[in-house]
Amino acid sequence: MNDLTTRPEAEGDMPSASGPWPVELDDVTVRYPNGVVALKNVSLTVGAGEMVAVVGLSGSGKSTMIRTINGLVAPTSGSVRVGPHAVSELRGRALRHARGDIGMIFQGFNLADRASVFHNALVGRFSHMPTWRTTLGLATEADRAMVMRSLDSVGMLEKVWHRAGALSGGQKQRVAIARALSQEPAVMLADEPVASLDPPTAHSVMADLAAINASRGLTVLVNLHLMDLARQYTTRMIGLRAGEVVYDGPAASATDADFEAIYGRPVQARDRLGE
Amino acid sequence: MTALAVRAPAAPPKPRRLAVKVASWTVAAVVLGAFAGLDIDWEELRELPGDLVHYGTLMFSDPDWSMLPEALLQTWRSVSMAWLGALLGVVLSTLLGIPAAEGVGPLWLRLPLRGLFAVIRAVPEVVIAIIILTVTGLTPFTGALALAIGGIGTHAKWTYETIESAPGGVVEAVRASGGGLSETVRWGLWPVVSPELASLALYRFEINVRTSAILGLIGVGGIGDMLTTYTQHRQWDTVGVLIIVVIVVTMSIDAISGAIRRRIMEGAKARGVERSS
Repeated sequence: MNDLTTRPEAEGDMPSASGPWPVELDDVTVRYPNGVVALKNVSLTVGAGEMVAVVGLSGSGKSTMIRTINGLVAPTSGSVRVGPHAVSELRGRALRHARGDIGMIFQGFNLADRASVFHNALVGRFSHMPTWRTTLGLATEADRAMVMRSLDSVGMLEKVWHRAGALSGGQKQRVAIARALSQEPAVMLADEPVASLDPPTAHSVMADLAAINASRGLTVLVNLHLMDLARQYTTRMIGLRAGEVVYDGPAASATDADFEAIYGRPVQARDRLGE
Repeated sequence: MTALAVRAPAAPPKPRRLAVKVASWTVAAVVLGAFAGLDIDWEELRELPGDLVHYGTLMFSDPDWSMLPEALLQTWRSVSMAWLGALLGVVLSTLLGIPAAEGVGPLWLRLPLRGLFAVIRAVPEVVIAIIILTVTGLTPFTGALALAIGGIGTHAKWTYETIESAPGGVVEAVRASGGGLSETVRWGLWPVVSPELASLALYRFEINVRTSAILGLIGVGGIGDMLTTYTQHRQWDTVGVLIIVVIVVTMSIDAISGAIRRRIMEGAKARGVERSS
């Protein structure tokens, strides 16, 4: 609960190294080996520095879409471009390099519970570090400073030597955000970042993401299934249903009817987070 | 009227469960066949309880406690053998088991490794020791090496199975931030699986303590060696002491090691909320 009191102020002194980048999906289709078509001919452009919500029910393809952007999922056809990187063309080292410029946070936080907060956040520096250093977990002074600044910007600096497993859910997600910020990313992806959090913590983590978008000018794509979070924290909303884009417009003015078209059913109480 | 009332309603036909019947008869046949194959003399079996009492009295009525220091020394040798064997075996198993896991090593590496583990599993430790002792001689070190190599068969299998069943979220996070294979294994996999691997390593030590007594049969030293010698010389009062020592030491090690393993695993329980989207 003290998550709320430690919510950090936006810090404007850490611009990303490469500046914000646009994200372009051109006619992207993803068919999984089991035959499921997760994305169907999706084309869209997200401008540099935009804060976009990707809304849809589970199974709508929004998780797949966000994973095509950093190449965790390869499109079956079509192309994905993030700034200078043609992500869908890249393999091996070049792909890892591109991923280094794209931060990502997850619903389940995906921290190593047994490792310290520091080493979890240091993972964000890996694409800039030689293998012998990553294997030993040895950071240079510059990497260390970057990790500490990232942790400080999400209010987690004092927990730096705690084990990640000993933190609360909200604190874990902040460490995960710090891990992504340590990459000095140009684009930030978030896959249902608040779905495992209680409502007050969810609001504060969403506010952190909005602050990162505002202060660093990062392009932010965030997967959500709750309509009020999308309306409150993002400027543009992309609605996915059964792998197809069914809505693309401003988030604040999206009507309940728009959400019903995305969900494919009437709006229910559980589609809102509340306070 | 009454006839109509008691007539059973038309239920769906009873399934015939042919497969279950065939399986039951097969199991029964195998059990009966096993008895026939063992060549059991039922007359002798009737004498067994009497024999047990007879030898029990010989061993435990008046144990020769003057042999205790020697017994403890040899037990210490056995435990050292078990410990060194576990240490070597676990290190080798971990190094070989990680690339044998699906998602870590490529198929051309996984298949031969798994084949190697299967072959080792098929060879008993005693046979491995007999092969090794042609090189290293009848020493406790031979026993330790045999335990280490013999342990790879099962322990490397446990290692890759543990890795394959580990939750993949941290791995995905390391990959998403640009980590390659070595970063993924070191920081995505290792922190997740190491508590369970540590627990399995202790369990390997417990198993080795018991196996090392059997290895004594071929004369590599330790309590098993002593047990064989005194049994062959029918010095039952000494054998009694040895058995008591083996039981007490084995049970103590199991209890201590088990307590440590529980502590490791309970510390590893995830306290976060894990849901998939």
